[in-house]
Amino acid sequence: MKFTIAVFGAPHAPGTRRALRFAQAALAGGHEIVRVFLYREAVQTASANLVSPQDETDMGRAWQRFVADNQIDAVVCIAAALRRGVLDTGEAQRYQRPAANLAAGWALSGLGQLHEAAQQCDRLVCFGDQ
Amino acid sequence: MTTLHVVSHSPFADDRLQSCIRLLRPEDGLLLCGNAVEALRDGTKPRALLDEAAAASRSIYALDEDLAARALAGLPEWLRAVDYAGFVELSCQYQRVNGWT
Repeated sequence: MKFTIAVFGAPHAPGTRRALRFAQAALAGGHEIVRVFLYREAVQTASANLVSPQDETDMGRAWQRFVADNQIDAVVCIAAALRRGVLDTGEAQRYQRPAANLAAGWALSGLGQLHEAAQQCDRLVCFGDQ
Repeated sequence: MTTLHVVSHSPFADDRLQSCIRLLRPEDGLLLCGNAVEALRDGTKPRALLDEAAAASRSIYALDEDLAARALAGLPEWLRAVDYAGFVELSCQYQRVNGWT
């Protein structure tokens, strides 16, 4: 079965952790993940500058590791990212901002990527902030 | 098309669960996770709604880690607890997944 996973909540939201555990279980079950798409507050999960308290899971790092280890097509909504200060090198240059902070493994792109992935998969599973 | 409805908001904070139960067809499934498992608390109004839905042969599941995290007692016999592998299986079993995000 092919899955697309859309995440909408902040990095520390329960839904973001649940999405990761679901994604891990999907791969463990022999399924394929067509794409992970971060939208709304979830774009902050792709920031390389997140710092979690020591007694909490570093959700940004956990997602980054999952994406890298499994070579997941991992897309961040560009409009949602820009308005929250998550920039790649190209956008930092374009808008003359001092630094790029998009973590490795993620790519900024448009909402069309969510639509395309929804067409290509068998199941679209969305996770909100709760 | 059969649908797996996934609800994660507390039933005491908004009326998502109530709306979802109203839309739930016999061939659909309802998965409670996160704070939504509070709906299973014995003696509450949301629990009565779920009992009613279960009696009308609706399939109701809950994520086991969320049940454990809240130490919920007096869970109903009709409830099917699933782990994440079970969540993935349910997503395959039903034709689409509707997250009440």
